[in-house]
Amino acid sequence: MVYDLIIIGGGPAGVTAGIYSARQRIKALLLTKSFGGQMVHKAVEIENYPGFEKISSIELIDRFEKHLRSKDIEIKNEKVVGLDKKEFFEVVTDEGKTFRSRAVIVATGAEPKRLNIKGEKEFLGKGLSYCPTCDGPLFSKKRVVIIGGGEAGFETALFLRKYASAVTILERGEKVFASQEIQERAKKEGINIITGATVKEIKGKDFVEEVLYNDESIAAEGVFVQIGHAPDASFAKNLVDVNDKGEIIVDPETYETRTKGLFATGDINNGRMKQIVIACGEGARAALFAYNHLIKNYELDSIN
Amino acid sequence: MKKVRLFSTPICPYCLTLKRFLEENGVEVESIDVSQDEEAQKEMVEKTKQATVPVLDIDGQFVVGFDRKKICEILGIED
Repeated sequence: MVYDLIIIGGGPAGVTAGIYSARQRIKALLLTKSFGGQMVHKAVEIENYPGFEKISSIELIDRFEKHLRSKDIEIKNEKVVGLDKKEFFEVVTDEGKTFRSRAVIVATGAEPKRLNIKGEKEFLGKGLSYCPTCDGPLFSKKRVVIIGGGEAGFETALFLRKYASAVTILERGEKVFASQEIQERAKKEGINIITGATVKEIKGKDFVEEVLYNDESIAAEGVFVQIGHAPDASFAKNLVDVNDKGEIIVDPETYETRTKGLFATGDINNGRMKQIVIACGEGARAALFAYNHLIKNYELDSIN
Repeated sequence: MKKVRLFSTPICPYCLTLKRFLEENGVEVESIDVSQDEEAQKEMVEKTKQATVPVLDIDGQFVVGFDRKKICEILGIED
């Protein structure tokens, strides 16, 4: 079986592309391990998505997923690990399956950046987490450290303050880069901020016990890494060009990559503004141009 | 029918995705909010040796995260 279109990713861009594709009555498949993309890690409410003055990330994700599932599109919870093109595009998943299609939209967004220090892998799930909205509530009355003093780091700190007995932010730079407003709130909430702190190692026995930075140590049961997100387009490397940030280079009008019929939309492409609503818009646009590509190049059974 | 318990936290999106996946496949699930239920949280951490959600308990077999392949195998969900 050959799909008309395969969409890879379940964040704002992928979901919107899915909704638009379903409306074109093409045979489409959306592959994603989970829904929401980076919204998953957002520990505070979203206040800039039209129609909602304030909405929690889980509620918006839930609405996105329900909207998508109400449409005629196939969805599989599998992670894509390979993409190539022979007669058709061939999309390989982590379960070893291959799906074929006439067009592909890559909407895999960006993944949390890793520290790449000793103890990070070892203690993942054992006190160290990249997902405060998931694991934060498990640290009730415990001490937590947030690595990264940007906006997301402060948001995470304020979220964890509801549970943890002590919250410390470690920032590598000499000053933090979060907004004044959130810094003031953090101060009021008694969040401890240490700048100029380069984290060297996460230590413990079965679970995290301390974080080593510079020549010092801080005791903690929980560590949340919030040092930004980075795209990973390595699975598509045979078919796309990337810039120095690893973002897929696209035509700014159509979001088509250097390979005809292959589109990249949302935070995975080299567009400079990364916002939920922008990713949605890009997803819609990519779906419409993918449809144009299909009707120009193929006689589709599903298109009358 | 296997007894399935889902250990989760209130705003954990991965937990929701897993819950929806199970429901779509007709699996009956008992959801436990481990941020409210300390006993359950203790049990989950002891059994998995981890402090992360979601966790599934399928008739005593614990699965950490949304490990779709493993969950399908244990529950006999056809792909």
